[in-house]
Amino acid sequence: MGRYLVNIWESVSTMLIGLGITGKHLLRAKNGNVTLQYPEEKWPRPERNIGFDHQDYNVIRSRLVVDINDCTGCKKCERACPVGCISVEALKVPKGTDLGVTSNDTIKRLLVTRHDIDMSECMYCNLCTFPCPEECIYMTGGPNSHKTPIDYEFSEYDRNNLIYKFAVATQEEIDSYTIPVPVTPAPEGAKA
Amino acid sequence: MTERLIKNSFIHGEEMILNIGPQHPSTHGVLRLRVKTDGEIVSEVTPIIGYLHRCFEKHCENLTYEQVIPYTDRCDYIASMNTNFGYVVAVEELMGIEVPEKVEYIRIIMAELNRIASHLLALGTFGLDVGATTPFLYMFRDRERILDMFEMVCGARLLYNYMWVGGVSHDLPVGFVEATFKFLDDFEREIDEYNNLLTFNKIFIERTADVGIMTPEVAIDYGVSGPNLRGSGVKWDLRKNDPYSIYDRFDFNIPVGEGTMGSVGDCWDRYWVRVLEMHESVKIVRQALQQMPKEGNVHEALPKKVRPPKGSVYKRTESPRGDLGYYIISDGKPSPIRLKMRSPAFTSLSVLNEISRGWMISDVLAVLGSLDIVLGEIDR
Repeated sequence: MGRYLVNIWESVSTMLIGLGITGKHLLRAKNGNVTLQYPEEKWPRPERNIGFDHQDYNVIRSRLVVDINDCTGCKKCERACPVGCISVEALKVPKGTDLGVTSNDTIKRLLVTRHDIDMSECMYCNLCTFPCPEECIYMTGGPNSHKTPIDYEFSEYDRNNLIYKFAVATQEEIDSYTIPVPVTPAPEGAKA
Repeated sequence: MTERLIKNSFIHGEEMILNIGPQHPSTHGVLRLRVKTDGEIVSEVTPIIGYLHRCFEKHCENLTYEQVIPYTDRCDYIASMNTNFGYVVAVEELMGIEVPEKVEYIRIIMAELNRIASHLLALGTFGLDVGATTPFLYMFRDRERILDMFEMVCGARLLYNYMWVGGVSHDLPVGFVEATFKFLDDFEREIDEYNNLLTFNKIFIERTADVGIMTPEVAIDYGVSGPNLRGSGVKWDLRKNDPYSIYDRFDFNIPVGEGTMGSVGDCWDRYWVRVLEMHESVKIVRQALQQMPKEGNVHEALPKKVRPPKGSVYKRTESPRGDLGYYIISDGKPSPIRLKMRSPAFTSLSVLNEISRGWMISDVLAVLGSLDIVLGEIDR
């Protein structure tokens, strides 16, 4: 009998302690400090400046972007990707062709004919952004936020729209390098 | 004690097979339990696993050593930092890399913060399993702060890919140390709040104390490790018994279950050990933050190419679920020839039949919650 009453007393008292904590938080609660009405309200975009001078610090896990004008077609990002969602194809152009330079003043020697990233396969491991010698592949925001603002909402109705095609080389441009132009026969011994 | 209910019930009815899962909130993932019941008393539990099998080990044979790290994240997705940690420590031992002091401290801080986050989730969902919803929300609130700090450091909230072979991917951001100290100060107060809300609640004690008792003998026989083993009163923690990284520099205790509310090794003990471990993790993080050198390049020891020499290594680390081991065989190529992961949650699940036989169906769910399994790691 005594044990029975003690049990009831313990249940009630410990429950009241718990309710007290809940009540304390109820009184302390600020309006809307937990729930946000998502499409209307949004969490503030996190401050991503890591606070160092290192420009190569990219602390973002968001949409992948390639500055195709800086891409040299070295395929380092393709090799680094664990899931193989990046596919790069580059074309060797004849010697002497001027493809311009990247913003790091590296002379481009390959014409990037294809640079596709399948964002539906990407697992946001950030491994592709580190080996890039030109820092042209990055996740949006961060040190590159002046070029591409951070963006988390990129859902699509069609899965194919998640395959991002970055290459800008036109078909004529590609053809002009691949289809040999009939020229006068070169002198013997010369190599193309 | 385990067979208590079966022995006491002298009327045996028809046995029925009850199926729990794979889509059930109490199975913590896609786990199916085939429960043989006599009335409401359970006579056999068979866990059926494999719904989340992703061929992790076979997949690693086709990946380079760096590319394996994001996949280790996805094994124990609740404590990714710890799974990363175990893997990189193993590869570093195989390659003979000495990592800088600062990296060691950063790794310890991250692993212990992740341990706190993992235990918070374990305790919260355990509460959910036995019918307490409120503490779960409180614990998620604090877990959220830890995840925010991880996001600050490496940009990801759950699957970090933060620890690399020979270093970490990013240095600590400005303001991280202060933010962590502030969190730790708040968090110690919050633990008392959880204790008042859930731990010492009479209803919770009645549901968990003296239920699902795992004796030390059973725990050792089945190879159970981590908080589940310590809940049975066995003082075994790899951070103390076989220190890896720089765990030997810190001063902390190993909490063990003492049967405060019932007998040693019951569900409440396993729960309580996790609560005490959070206190110890807070202690370790505090010491690490104080001792950490200010200067240092975290990319200093990164090897140009991760290509370990021929040989094999087995390295075990203490993850929040227990003894996490990696066995790596290298033949000098860029990818491992074989990678075996010893998962602590798998062994914890295997003991389920032994300790939940003879209890009620609702007790099986309490036992399962107290074992704190992660299906991503069991099936890998």
